[in-house]
Amino acid sequence: MLEALIGSTTCEKVLIYLTARSEGYLREISDFFGIAPAPLLRQMEKLENGGILYSKSVGRTRVFGFNPRYPFLNELRALLTKVLAFYPDDIRERLKDNRRRPRRKGKPL
Amino acid sequence: MSIPLAGMSLAELAAYVSDHLAKQGIDVVLSGGGCVSVYSDNRYQSNDLDFIERYREDRKKLAAALDMIGFKPKKRYFVHPATPFFLEFPTGPLSVGSEPVREIAELNFRTGTLRLLTPADCIKDRLSHYFHWGDKQGLEQALIVAETFPVDVDELARWSQQEAMQDKFDSVRDRFLNTPSNNNANILAE
Repeated sequence: MLEALIGSTTCEKVLIYLTARSEGYLREISDFFGIAPAPLLRQMEKLENGGILYSKSVGRTRVFGFNPRYPFLNELRALLTKVLAFYPDDIRERLKDNRRRPRRKGKPL
Repeated sequence: MSIPLAGMSLAELAAYVSDHLAKQGIDVVLSGGGCVSVYSDNRYQSNDLDFIERYREDRKKLAAALDMIGFKPKKRYFVHPATPFFLEFPTGPLSVGSEPVREIAELNFRTGTLRLLTPADCIKDRLSHYFHWGDKQGLEQALIVAETFPVDVDELARWSQQEAMQDKFDSVRDRFLNTPSNNNANILAE
């Protein structure tokens, strides 16, 4: 939906994912949208170099999120939140269905 | 004309680079920890000079201009064999938190004119690190600058509120009120 503006559907997907979930790492975003990791990482690093995203290491995982010091963050979030509202219901539901609470290792489902 | 960089202080080098780039049509402003070094007379030391381009130029044009004075690209930095200081050009815009920078300070050195954040914006810039990343060094750097330059605490409070960080600012407000420069300013005002 923003491709004409930002030039890449992959970039849009990263931004939409992070809008819905606040944080994310390469593998989970790649799995969620079924996009190869390499182009996804390129977009994430481009956004990080541009000051829009930050990344931090959590164990061996590089977690990305919106950079709170990005001066247009509130306006960008408002735009992306509106774009997200136009996404298909199933994608929005899957993005909302985000288990982040702790799960004891080995616990049966 | 290239002049020897060895022995230049951080501020002198920053002025030299800033002046040279201005002559090449590239308008940059020193931001980040380098400003703290300049304003604190090196009580806070940094080797990293963060310049923000006011109007983003082509990276090739920037690299060509820096090559003229001997700086070579190394990853995202530019380095020179004669100086431990290295240059970085983070993506703009020039801002303190979510607000644009309106006023640029200028300091003259034997090597040129340095354009940099004002002390007030430098304090906000460092405080935003403390607010958003919990970086205590950012707070200490802001206080180092505030020790030398009187700070408008009400303006800091307004800006902090704008950043949705009023509670965090309230927890450190007294430290800014009690800096020697603010106490001196209050004595003079009485």
